[in-house]
Amino acid sequence: MSAPTEGDPWKRLRGLPMGQRIELTAADGRTWRGTIVPAHELSGDRVIQVKLESGYNVGVHVAPDDRLTVFDPPVPASEASGPAPAHPAPARAGVGTAPAVALLLTGGTIASRVDYRTGGVRPVEEESEILSFYPDLDRDGPVRVVPVLDRLSEDIAPEDWQLLARRIASAFEEGARGVVVAHGTDTLAYTAAALSFLLEELPGPVVLVGAQRSPDRPSSDGFTNLTAAVRVARTAAVGEVLVLMHAGLSDDRFAIHRGTRVRKMHTSRRDAFRTLNGRPVGEVVGDTVTFQAEMRAPSGRGVRLDDRLDGGAALLWFQPGLEPARAEAFVKGLRGIVLAGTGLGHVAAVHLPWIRQAISRGLVVIMTSQCLEGAVDPYVYATGRELLRAGVLYAGDMTPETAYVKLLWALARAPDPAGARALFLEDRAGEIATRREYPGAA
Amino acid sequence: MKAGLEIHQQLATGKLFCDCPTDLTDTVSGSVVRRLRATGGENHLVDRAAAFQAARELAFRYEAGPSSCLVELDEEPPHPLNAEALDLALIVALLLDARPLDEVVVMRKIVVDGSNTAGFQRTALVAVDGQLTVGGKRVSIASVCLEEDAARKVGEVDHEVRYRLDRLGIPLIEIVTGPEITSGAEAREVAAEIGALLRATQRVRRGIGTIREDLNVSIPGGARVELKGIQELRLLPRYAESEEARQRTLLAVRDQLVARGARVPDRRRVDVTALIPGAGGGALSEIVRRGGTVRALALFGFAGLLRSPEGETERLGRELADYARAAGVRGLFHSDEVPLGPLDAAFAARVRSELALGEADAFVLVGARDGAVAERALELVRERAAMALEGIPHETRDPLPDGRSRYSRPLPGRDRMYPETDVPPVPVRPAHLERLRAGLPERPEVARARIARQHRLPEPIVRQLQQAGDLEAFEALAARGRSATGIARLLTQDLPAAAAGEAGTIELPLETLDAVLAAVEAGRFAKEGIPPVLAQLLQGAHDLPEAVSRAGLASAGAPADLDTLAESVVARNEAMVRERGAEAFSPLMGDLMREVRGRRDGKEVAAALRRALDRHRAPTGPAT
Repeated sequence: MSAPTEGDPWKRLRGLPMGQRIELTAADGRTWRGTIVPAHELSGDRVIQVKLESGYNVGVHVAPDDRLTVFDPPVPASEASGPAPAHPAPARAGVGTAPAVALLLTGGTIASRVDYRTGGVRPVEEESEILSFYPDLDRDGPVRVVPVLDRLSEDIAPEDWQLLARRIASAFEEGARGVVVAHGTDTLAYTAAALSFLLEELPGPVVLVGAQRSPDRPSSDGFTNLTAAVRVARTAAVGEVLVLMHAGLSDDRFAIHRGTRVRKMHTSRRDAFRTLNGRPVGEVVGDTVTFQAEMRAPSGRGVRLDDRLDGGAALLWFQPGLEPARAEAFVKGLRGIVLAGTGLGHVAAVHLPWIRQAISRGLVVIMTSQCLEGAVDPYVYATGRELLRAGVLYAGDMTPETAYVKLLWALARAPDPAGARALFLEDRAGEIATRREYPGAA
Repeated sequence: MKAGLEIHQQLATGKLFCDCPTDLTDTVSGSVVRRLRATGGENHLVDRAAAFQAARELAFRYEAGPSSCLVELDEEPPHPLNAEALDLALIVALLLDARPLDEVVVMRKIVVDGSNTAGFQRTALVAVDGQLTVGGKRVSIASVCLEEDAARKVGEVDHEVRYRLDRLGIPLIEIVTGPEITSGAEAREVAAEIGALLRATQRVRRGIGTIREDLNVSIPGGARVELKGIQELRLLPRYAESEEARQRTLLAVRDQLVARGARVPDRRRVDVTALIPGAGGGALSEIVRRGGTVRALALFGFAGLLRSPEGETERLGRELADYARAAGVRGLFHSDEVPLGPLDAAFAARVRSELALGEADAFVLVGARDGAVAERALELVRERAAMALEGIPHETRDPLPDGRSRYSRPLPGRDRMYPETDVPPVPVRPAHLERLRAGLPERPEVARARIARQHRLPEPIVRQLQQAGDLEAFEALAARGRSATGIARLLTQDLPAAAAGEAGTIELPLETLDAVLAAVEAGRFAKEGIPPVLAQLLQGAHDLPEAVSRAGLASAGAPADLDTLAESVVARNEAMVRERGAEAFSPLMGDLMREVRGRRDGKEVAAALRRALDRHRAPTGPAT
């Protein structure tokens, strides 16, 4: 034990490592003894957090005349706050002869842990960490873990989709039977759509999976989601990009969505992901994987990847009061724009002039609907007919997000607007449906 | 005995981390099925209590309804800490002379028995280092915490446990005392005083299950054992004493085991499935018929020590069986029970030879349909048997209705706590504390002294009213002008007596109690009539007149009638009156009271009887 610190203890406290055992005595004799843990980022000024013997963390305000005693040796930082695996990392390959699944990590809740400093969750940075969270992952066969990114999904950009597509292609070329991509849920649907367009042919399933509860919680949906996703990747005879998440609020049913038709429809529920304008293509119940929809078979020729994307497009959500000049300024320098319009696909008539002009200058303008459910239709109302006449392209029942991703894809492949428009209207990965069934008619 | 208490009191505020009502309900609008698994916290060590529960691999069904929302379902992040509940916890802390923290940090305490959908209970330390004086003795208060109540267990079938979410998230104040309590009776006193203090805030929930006690007991050479969730104060002494006895018995068994040089083999488990007859072997035969396995474990030097010692009720065999059950088997058989249920001594001898046991050795049998389950059960038995050589294991136990307790899980450690990052820490500012301090409710001991003085009641009666939570009702009735002794008698004796036979807790409104006392004071019936009238009210009489009439007290007569009744009782017992003189009073008083049946005051009845006796004993009465 070292001698009590003289003077204001705050400065010395801030320099101490996490896990340091200390004792702080106030002028009135009140004493706190414990180890320093990271303070919450919303903690007050001059407040340190101390983990008491009981396990409780407490916030202690440090006064200039408090007496600080620092004990030695300090507890190794890893024991107090660092990432030491709870379980020994399981063997990484060679379990039986089951076909290998590649698990690509991109970050997100499913591969995150609580950051005790910021109070938020942060992506794991090491492969051993994810294996410590999911020790049973390779129970049914080898799972090869491939860290690709370590980002929350709001930080993922189109160039990350391209990188991911290349890594998926490599994984198949290296012998994977199926690929699972662990991804943050916020923009998972964008990534799924992008991979659907970039990976033109697949020898096996690519399953994107996420979690709405981080794996440091006993109730995390990550455990069951990931297990089910690995099962689909290992067994399904499908050559498509899929998304697997909880089908409901229970841990026993999982929905399989097509990568181009899925959208996150709730901020926090486990079953936030829904297939819009249709039903999920399949489900996992217990050990059984079934597909209700007709799926593209695995390609016999391996992966075909074309990772080109054009950055010159954007998505604009129309709202009453949106000034035409503001919208016009927004599209400046772009080659394409996706409008999320109202109802069947409308914007206020005052926007017609700039839209006409922009199209005549070569801008590709796509119309989708804020309703999300149902298809856009330009023929029903006058505004629609005007927009159609101006050259706006109606995107059927594509989600605004999928339309945006597809536009980046189409612009990268066409030398001119006419070529991009033609490519945009082709159904590439099940993103355009011509029928929408009444869900009650099973 | 060294004992400490943890008192958990539900608060009558909204829920702690969402805006749901706190009413318990039978309405279920839907349910979800979940699984939980133990996870590491800040330091990634899996708590052994948590890992233990996760190993049971149960599914949990949660029933949602009008008192729960997405937060209880773990489908929405918690809302900020309920400020009213925190204020109440701070008020209680101040009443206990505890010092509040500068910043309250909400923690997650891993609990994977399914009682919390998230797999952890949210809890926050609010204050430390308080004290309380009970019967002149100072008891330290280690901590005051604010935490969320768990979901309510409503059923269990096979591997699915059913919970209702209405109770999950109700705020609880947890008060932990130091280990200065030395007897069960004292534990009860301390718990009663803390209960009175909590009720003094007037914002705690009332009724069965709204206050629960955990009792920590250890004896010299024993270990801290936590008896979790005792719902009735009066049972505290019983549980304390039976735990003391259990530890004493097991320590004596330990001493004998050590003296014998007993030992537990690392690996000596034998599959004895083939030895079990297809029929006639009871549960074991049944297991084998269904394709299960039976395994045996040798315990060297344990013979005779698995059963209860002479004059004791506790035994080591039961402890081993509790551990086996934790692995999911129904129970076990051991060699001190020969014949082994339906299996005979010859069978036991075959097992002994299979395990190569000597006379001083014992064995344990466990059967399960799944060999892995049997194996895990025997491993737990082996661990528990090894602990028997050391002493008493630290553990959490469930209190049973018979006053004993059953092993529930290992005592959780500090590894199960990590910060709840979804809830920002709450600063406790000095100015806010000063405001709370200025408006503190009257302390229980101050209230007792004041009421005793004001209403000239003996302090023990006031204490009784306070501990039963009736002081508020007492003061309200006194304010309406009812007599203090009458109210005290009604609340401490008549009402509990009348309610004793009723199912559930029916509460009579204050107005009704007031009307009953007013009727007695007006002479409409005697105070002896109160219990039957209350009973009628509790059984559904619509109003007081109906209750009085159903109790047969409607025709409370004039004084003359009482004299006539007394006269007839004396006349019927003419011979006894002649023989015993004044001593006939007592038996005749009993007869007369039965006839009066509470319609008249006892004093009036006695006076009438005395008059009648005097008339009969007069040597020469005037002829009538």
